[in-house]
Amino acid sequence: MATAQLPGEAKPKTPPSAPPRIERGFYTRAAIIAVGVLLVIFLLPQVLSLYYVDAMTQVAIYAVVALGLGVLVGRVGLISLGQAAVLAIGAWVAARLLFGTSLPYEVVLLASGVITMLLGTLVGLPALRMRGLYLALITLMLAGAITVVLASLNFPNGGHGFSGYNGALLHIPPIRRPGIAQTDPAYFRYSVVVAVIMFLIVLIHVRTKPGRAWAAIRQSEPAALAAGINTTFYKLWAFALASFVTGVAGGVLAGAVRYLYSIDFQTQDSITLLAVVLMGGAYSIWGAIVAGLLLQLLPAILNDLGVNPDWLVILFGIGVLQVLTTAPTGIVDQMPKDIARLARFIGGLGRRSSPAKEPAQ
Amino acid sequence: MHPLIHLALSLPSWQDEQPFLVTGLALGGVYALSGVGMIVLFRTTGVLNLSFGAVGAFGALIAWQLINHSGMNQWLAYLVCVLFGGVITLAYGMVFGPALARRDPLVKTTATLGLTLILLGAMDLLWTSNGGASRSISLPTDNHGFMVGQIQVTTTDVIALAVGIVITVVTTAFLRYSKLGTAMRAMANDREITATLGVPVRRVEAAAWFGCGIVAGLSGILLADLVALDATTLTFLVISSLAAALIARLSSIWITFVAAIIIGVVDAAVTPITALTNYRDMTPFVLAAIALLFLNRKRTLSLARQEF
Repeated sequence: MATAQLPGEAKPKTPPSAPPRIERGFYTRAAIIAVGVLLVIFLLPQVLSLYYVDAMTQVAIYAVVALGLGVLVGRVGLISLGQAAVLAIGAWVAARLLFGTSLPYEVVLLASGVITMLLGTLVGLPALRMRGLYLALITLMLAGAITVVLASLNFPNGGHGFSGYNGALLHIPPIRRPGIAQTDPAYFRYSVVVAVIMFLIVLIHVRTKPGRAWAAIRQSEPAALAAGINTTFYKLWAFALASFVTGVAGGVLAGAVRYLYSIDFQTQDSITLLAVVLMGGAYSIWGAIVAGLLLQLLPAILNDLGVNPDWLVILFGIGVLQVLTTAPTGIVDQMPKDIARLARFIGGLGRRSSPAKEPAQ
Repeated sequence: MHPLIHLALSLPSWQDEQPFLVTGLALGGVYALSGVGMIVLFRTTGVLNLSFGAVGAFGALIAWQLINHSGMNQWLAYLVCVLFGGVITLAYGMVFGPALARRDPLVKTTATLGLTLILLGAMDLLWTSNGGASRSISLPTDNHGFMVGQIQVTTTDVIALAVGIVITVVTTAFLRYSKLGTAMRAMANDREITATLGVPVRRVEAAAWFGCGIVAGLSGILLADLVALDATTLTFLVISSLAAALIARLSSIWITFVAAIIIGVVDAAVTPITALTNYRDMTPFVLAAIALLFLNRKRTLSLARQEF
């Protein structure tokens, strides 16, 4: 019980990282997912209003952020309470590059991912000397510190100098978008494509050597070390990967909102993020999508219905407590089981009402 | 000009620093109060209560509501705040303590973030920011004070530092000499063995939860007066106390006290330095990071159950 085993210590019934062989039905599954992605890309912007298209763009962005945190929490068992701050760094770097250079958007995304990765790893390097609780707390403090720096540095708004911020600017230009994705529906498609690529990168990691090393570390760090796994290297790798995808997501976020303000990035966001990742299911890649939906689509719907979004914060709080006490694998794992249970229950009702007598248990 | 030269040139005089020193000592006292409250609960139950700040903020807002809208006597309202802290923390501990008792400290600590979110959401619902009109709590002791040389020291400052010292001394004595304190120390070593020895572990845990909540309410009132009555600010001020507790490796009450005072003083002392004033709230993080890296330099991996 020595190392961070959140909530892996609860021993999920299915091992989170399956052996790297190609299982039966792999191609069928891949085809179904591909069709699903195509439907999302081409059908959703047609049927949804612009309001919900924007919300779904945010879902795509935050699903990637949740994916990055999911790697740390679900795969390696490290709790980071500073991922929203990492996202802010990615958005800042991307905005600075978009204002300062005329590089293609894809290059800017890659650059913001790499720079965020370097910064994240730099921070991760000393932080990795601490484990479990200490790491979680130091990242929480780091999130607070980054919020402070951002509040004083401000987001670039087309000014000059390192910060790219000019408080006296009267006409603030919007952050530019890629040429192929100027409109909101087009930008939605663009962000889904970026998100799919990020999911594939993470999936490859999880299914190959790093994924197995992470699983070993999560079970027991001393045991992993004894088995010859370079634990520091692989933990750092996880940090780098999580920071990279979060940095890219930050770049997509910059183009999505077009105006960035430091007030929009608060320490609380990192906690909410961890809450939805745990609720969605940190062990599954699909959990990240659920987390994105919880974090961005749900508030949009509530806002549409005129419900105060503060209720959502309360709901997330209850969700965290529920997940940690009773369902460590999250909604993604729990929902199908609950549906199956409900189906059995309904089936049982049907049988009971039929004249045939049920044998006693 | 090189930023460092600029920094050196803009260093404030000792004269300018003095008032901030007073503020720093007062804040440090409250951080010590919170830090000790969190450590005692952590040692007894293995839970690092991250909802500490949110509980205090909620209590302070209730007190504000009672004073300004129900016309309640000030002191009575503060008492309600402190009791609220105790009751809500005790309730959480009673419901989720046993459910998570055998889990990793990391899980137990993450769970308190759930309570934090619930309280934060509820505070935003109940006390909406109406048109930027800020709320404030002003203790009657703000108006009394004395001069030390040229500096004005209010009674609130004195009280804040005093509660920090008192809680440190009293808690040390309590853990050392009282029966309940001995039971808490035993539980910090091993919950199961303590239970076998006939200690009513649930009741001891309840006492720790309640005590931690009382301290949270008290810190909430003091910080609302010294800093600001704002839900988010007060909730995340817990980071300063957390840093002090971390520097003490979540075990020593006296190191927590010293670290809390240092954090409070450094944070305040940086305020008049123009180049750094915007970054002064990074103090807890910077100090804790340096201290933890230094303390962790010789740590080894082990399979031992007890990590802290």
